[in-house]
Amino acid sequence: MTIRRRLTIWYGVVLAVSLLLISWATYEEFAEQSERGRETEVEESALAEASEIIFHVGLPAIILGTAGGWWLTRRALKPLSELTKAAKGINERTLDRPLPRSGNGDELDELAGVLNAMQARLHDSFNRIREFTLHASHELKTPLTVMHGELETALRDNNLPPTDRDRILSQLDELRRLSKIVDGLTLLTHADSGYVKLKKEALRLDQLVRDLHEDMVILAEPTGVQVQLTACDELMVMGDAHRLRQLLLNLADNAVKYNETGGSISMSLCRTGDEAQFIMANTGPGISPEILPRVFDRFFRGDPAHGANVEGCGLGLSIARWIAGAHDGTIEIESTPSKLTTVTLRLPAAEPVAG
Amino acid sequence: MRVLVVEDEKKTASFIRKALQDAGFAVDACHNGNDALAAACATPFDAIVLDIMLPGRDGLSVLRHLRETKNATPVLLLSARGEVDERVEGLNTGADDYLAKPFALVELVARVRALGRRGAGESKSTVLRVADLTLDTITRQAKRGQTTFELTAREYRLLEFLMRSAGRICGRMAILEKVWDYDFDPGSNLVDVYIKRLREKIDAGFEPKLFHTVRGMGYLMKEAP
Repeated sequence: MTIRRRLTIWYGVVLAVSLLLISWATYEEFAEQSERGRETEVEESALAEASEIIFHVGLPAIILGTAGGWWLTRRALKPLSELTKAAKGINERTLDRPLPRSGNGDELDELAGVLNAMQARLHDSFNRIREFTLHASHELKTPLTVMHGELETALRDNNLPPTDRDRILSQLDELRRLSKIVDGLTLLTHADSGYVKLKKEALRLDQLVRDLHEDMVILAEPTGVQVQLTACDELMVMGDAHRLRQLLLNLADNAVKYNETGGSISMSLCRTGDEAQFIMANTGPGISPEILPRVFDRFFRGDPAHGANVEGCGLGLSIARWIAGAHDGTIEIESTPSKLTTVTLRLPAAEPVAG
Repeated sequence: MRVLVVEDEKKTASFIRKALQDAGFAVDACHNGNDALAAACATPFDAIVLDIMLPGRDGLSVLRHLRETKNATPVLLLSARGEVDERVEGLNTGADDYLAKPFALVELVARVRALGRRGAGESKSTVLRVADLTLDTITRQAKRGQTTFELTAREYRLLEFLMRSAGRICGRMAILEKVWDYDFDPGSNLVDVYIKRLREKIDAGFEPKLFHTVRGMGYLMKEAP
């Protein structure tokens, strides 16, 4: 049944009930009147009578009609607000969950059907893009392997003129960079499709942070950047050691790359409640507020003017955020341009294993 | 040493074969899983380089079958995917090593050589020596002539790895895996910076120079230039 028909019927019912009520009250009034008339012979004025009918019968009927109308609209619109609520919850991960349908064939049910069909098409496109990237990154690896192998084979020729050798070496460098991009892309698309399983075990996060600190001191040395580890609480987390190392190193890499000569980096690892909180703050040009929300986007390189000289694959922070998320953690970034950029990583802490 | 290379992509198979032959190995090649299994069962090889994605029977299935029939030939798995899961699955199935595509040929050659040595047993010596540099793996002390060097934990592991592979090129990925326990390329110049530090500590002011860079390939330690 369509909503229009249902509303008409229901409103007819409300109207009929109200009218019946009025008629009944009027009838009672007149009956009483004629009864009394016979006894006392005194007639009330027509005006008083009319106002009595209006106040005693009309008002309740108006209230009843309004309440009925309100109830009717609410009833009619309830599926719409449910639909709105359900539609608000749609994102790229929930596209495979259709909106609930009442199944009564009305306009809203039809709308839900149309929305579901749209969602299915979106889901389909998302999947196709995902699969495309998945296959593309896979397919790219074979030619990359062949190119790498052939260039290396060429390099082994002892009669190779030095200029050709330099050219080949520079191509090998670019090839390495390209492979890294493809690797990052493979990892992220596999993660999107849920193919990446983490090997989680109880591990000492403070140990990973100390290792990182040692590497960073050395990585930052050529640019004169000072690296400090201000606090390092003993902390256990349930995590995949490889992935967490990758996450920390990606953050470290940015802190060194987007720093300034003679700048500094400070790190700390603390327990706050039942969370491990790792903070890395670095000096440097910083990130302007307009682009800050986009730094986790894939291949987002920020201001082309000052990002151009920095080598990287443009996937580091996307990968970092995925790894944090896969460990039920969060990662946030704040920046005061030309002062300090702070990255905060929070991971659920695990209970220390006895012994 | 005789090596079986199983790779369906003809060009890849051809340069792997060439690189291994140049390194002094005898190489047999085949291009699908069934041929590989037949060849591995008929001939004793010292090592097998096995691609995972193969027409017909895939690499993991070949490997499983080999191990079920008690064939313990060392296997180096190759895979285009380079995913951790596949690596773990491969190693659980009985592979001895794993290399993700695209790889550097020097890495491949070094790993195949290491596989061959695994059968022969590694040097058990506790004191490693390259020219006049010695590294005591028990006291973790490096010495050259009368000079003793202070090494951080990471520097020690790097030096130990390079000295154990003295005379052979060590690829960047192999170093990252063995010394840093990374299974991804961090993209930074971590290895180069550490080597530079070791060089400053150990090579500066001494002759002959022991650390050598093979551009585009990796590093090696040896006495002669």
